[in-house]
Parts: sequence; structure tokens; C-alpha cells
Amino acid sequence: MRLTFSRTLRAGFKNFYRNGWLSVATISIIAVTLFIINIQFAVVISENLLLNDIKDRVSISAYFKPDTTEQDVLKAKEEFAKYQEVGSVEYISKEQALEDFKRENADNEILQKSLEEIESNPFEPTLSIKAWEPKNYELIARLVNDSNYKEMINTVNYDKYSNVIDSLGTEIDSNQKTGLALGITLAVIAVLITFNSIRITMYAFRREIEIMRLVGASNNYIRMPFVWEGILYGLISAMVALPLSFIYLKFVAITESSGVILPFSSSIYIDQFLNQIFFKNILWIVPAELGVGILLGVISSIIAIGRYLKNPRH
Amino acid sequence: MIECKNVSKIYPGDVPALENISFKINDKEFLSIIGSSGAGKSTLIKLLHAEEKPTSGEILFGGEDIVEYKKKQIFQHRREVGVVFQDFKLLPKKNVFENVAFAMEVSGRSEEEVAEDVPQVLEIIGLTELADKYPHEISGGEQQRVAIARALVNRPKVLIADEPTGNLDPESGWEILQSLLKINKYGTTVVLATHDREAVDKINGRVVVLKDGKIVSDEIKGKYDLKEDKVKKEEKEDRQRRTDSENQKKKSI
Repeated sequence: MRLTFSRTLRAGFKNFYRNGWLSVATISIIAVTLFIINIQFAVVISENLLLNDIKDRVSISAYFKPDTTEQDVLKAKEEFAKYQEVGSVEYISKEQALEDFKRENADNEILQKSLEEIESNPFEPTLSIKAWEPKNYELIARLVNDSNYKEMINTVNYDKYSNVIDSLGTEIDSNQKTGLALGITLAVIAVLITFNSIRITMYAFRREIEIMRLVGASNNYIRMPFVWEGILYGLISAMVALPLSFIYLKFVAITESSGVILPFSSSIYIDQFLNQIFFKNILWIVPAELGVGILLGVISSIIAIGRYLKNPRH
Repeated sequence: MIECKNVSKIYPGDVPALENISFKINDKEFLSIIGSSGAGKSTLIKLLHAEEKPTSGEILFGGEDIVEYKKKQIFQHRREVGVVFQDFKLLPKKNVFENVAFAMEVSGRSEEEVAEDVPQVLEIIGLTELADKYPHEISGGEQQRVAIARALVNRPKVLIADEPTGNLDPESGWEILQSLLKINKYGTTVVLATHDREAVDKINGRVVVLKDGKIVSDEIKGKYDLKEDKVKKEEKEDRQRRTDSENQKKKSI
């Protein structure tokens, strides 16, 4: 077993080396495939980061009439929190709203002065409601407007951003689908090209194969060198594609002009992706990349040699 | 012992190659099978080597029917039956030693065994001095001896030779036959398929004559029993057919 392993491995390396430019071409194609799959992944994940970020900032605000008691507002809070679509409800009292406003506008002297001149708190007690899904904001706004507390509520203001979020969600969805289709198409092309390369090697080695069969080599023994060759193709391709993808994301995609390639996302999110996700998960990203490369190579080899070995006897 | 029982082989398109052949080969026997090309010699060799399956009949090796063999048993069978061809079938990029060692490596034998057995076989066949040479550096007769060494290195009980002298001048051909006789003397059963009448006359052993896929004679110590002029005519036709098919092959390439 160990002997077969080392002997077929050696033969596989020799095939690979003897193929020269054919090996280089095969590796290039697999590497390009892996590169595009990588970039697609990075884009989709960066877009998700962006989406989550925006989702976090959006909420519905229900402004209560100034004379509503805190007790009533809290009852409303409890009620709204029970809605299925609602993620969280935050109560902001009149005083807190004033404080927040003062703090946010600390630089604006005119505003500060005018607040002092009013002498009373112009803010209303507010419930800030967040939805699980951005598409539910409209529904929640309607539910709040129709609730038992509608008499106490002055206005319900749901963020105009929810439309943006909706379209961003759709965008990511379609991006994922396009990316998947593109990835699969390229993977098929890569398999076909690797398949062809291995077939050409096998043609060059047909005499060897004939003699191997003649002296009683098992199918496995004949197959293994070509499988090793495929593994080698995939392995080297992955080792090329991964650093290339990183360099592309870090130095090319991050520049302003990349808006066309990465709709909605900006450099911050690509950077965030690299720092928060890529580097933290590199321990499984690297083996996964190598694994995908090897898989592409091996599948091609096995398909290519299949016909040769179907039957040891006619 | 090898026994063929009612073996027929019909190729697709209703082309009969062998029709109801039955014969036995005893252990340590030297059997010559003669006949012109198209008589079924090569088909018979392919059946014995489990490269093809007969359409009907049994082929017994030591009581086991190789027709029923599964993949693994076929590979094992080929390691136990050495085979030599007209065109040597050596690997051009391996030297003599490596060509012989290759058959052992494929059978999963260890490096130590290879290092021990290959020189022994080369010694027996008289190739020791050529061990480092590549096939293109040695003569046809020497190449065929390398093929014989490769066939022997796994210590087969049976050695099958399909027209081993076909590509050689008479002198080299005679040397090959002597090697085969020597191997037979050491105890290996040898099956020699040839249309070389002179060779068979010199060996003077058991001869099976095939014609149109049938055994027409099977005699121990027999001479090539066809009339000389007839044989010559057949040989001529044979050569003509072969060049025709070669030309056709070249054209198709």
C-alpha cells in the first residue's frame, strides 16, 4: 500500500513535469476559477456586513403625545414587543430625548440657546422599535397605528431607509445567485479543461498504460498517477488563487473606482471583511481553498481515466 | 495444467476467430501453436492471458476457470502468466533494468525484492551487461530478451510468446527460441505461437496446428505438417495481408 502510494506519486509528478506548458495552462484555468469564486464570496460577505450595519441603524419611532404617562408608554412597549415581527423595543423618555439631542448637537450654539429659551422640554416620549426583517417595517408601522394605543400616539415615523435596505437585500440575493451560477459555470469549464489535459497526458502514456495492464497492474495502480497529477494541479492552483484574491481585495477592489464591481459596498466593508472575517478564519479558509482546488483536479482526472479502465477484459 | 474446453470466440459482426477448440497443456510442456495469420493464434493467446473473454467454453488454469475471474483475479492471473509479443512492448524511457523491474513494481513487490530478483533474471537471460542500456541502444534480439526477462521476473508458471521472432532476423530469432527452451528446461511451461516453420522444426516438440479457428492437428514431436510450397504460399499471403493492414493503419492515422 505504502509502496503503491510512493510509486504512483512519483509517476504522477513525472506526468506533471513532462506536460510542461499544458500543466501551466491547466493550473491557470483552475486558478482563475478559484479566484472568481473567492471574489464572489468576499463581495457577498462584505455586502452582508454592510446590510447588517444599516439594519442596525434603522428603526420605527412612535412619538407619544407629551401628556402621556410613562406607565402608559411602558404598557405600549410591552404590547408592541409581543408582535412577531418586532425584534426589540426601546423606551426613550422625554428627558433622555432632550439629553440625547443636546449631546448630539453640542457644537451647535444656536440650537443650544434656543432650547434654553424655550425652558420646557419640547420632546415627546418615544418608543424605538426594531424589526427582525427590514421588509416588516411597513407592517409594524401599520400595526402600531391600529393598536389600542393609537389615541396616545402622535406620529409613527418609520425610516425611509427601509426601502433602501429592501433593495440592498434583493441586490445581495441576486448577487449570490449570479455568483453561484458564475462559479458553477467556471468550475465546469475548469473540470473540462483539466479533463482534457489529463486525457492528453494519458494519450502520451498510452503505451505505458498498455504495458502496465499487460504485466498485471490493477486499475487502481494505473489510475493513481493521473489522480496525483490532478491533485497537483488543484493544489498549485489554490496556492496561486488565494494570495491573488487577497492582493486584489486589499489593493485593487478597495480603491474608489471599484464601485462598478462592488455595488453598494465601499472599501470599509471590504476592509472589515479582510480584518474581521478573512484573517480570523484563515485556518479553515486555506484548507477549504486547497480542498476545492484538489476536488476540481481529482474529479477531472477520474472522469478522464474512467473509460480506459471500465473493463479489464473486452 | 492448462485446459481449454470447447472454446469459441466470435467477434462482433459474427466474425468467428476460434471454433470449439479443446486441448490440454501439461505442466512444464513446450507447446508450439502454428498457423497463418487469421488462423486464431493471437486470439487464443489473448484468451489465455485474460485479455479477452471467450464467447463460450472454459479455460482452466490449475482447475480454475479464468473465464469466471473477477477484475482482481484477472490482474493476479496476468502476473502469474508471463507474456512476450512480437513488438517487444518495452518502455522507451526506461533502461533494461528498469523495464524488468517495472513488472515487479506493478505487482507491489518491495525494493529489496526488485534489487535481488532483477539481476538474477538478467543473468539467466544473459543481459547483465546491458542493464544500463536503453531499448533504442540495443538490437531487436536483445530487446526481445529484455521482454522475456520482464515476463519471467514475477516467476510465472507459464510463459506465453506471441510471434516472438516475427520482427527478428533468423539468427536473433534462433537465440530467442533457445532462451525459451532454456526457460522451459528450468520448469516453466512455454506456449509459443508462431508461423515460423523452421523454428518449430528445430524445436521438434509438441505442435498444435490452427487453421481457420480450428485445430487441424496436434502431434507430439511432430513436424510442421503442411506441404512446404503451401506454407510458403501462405507466408507470402500473410506478409501481403500484414503490409496491407499496416498501410491501412497508416492511412487511418
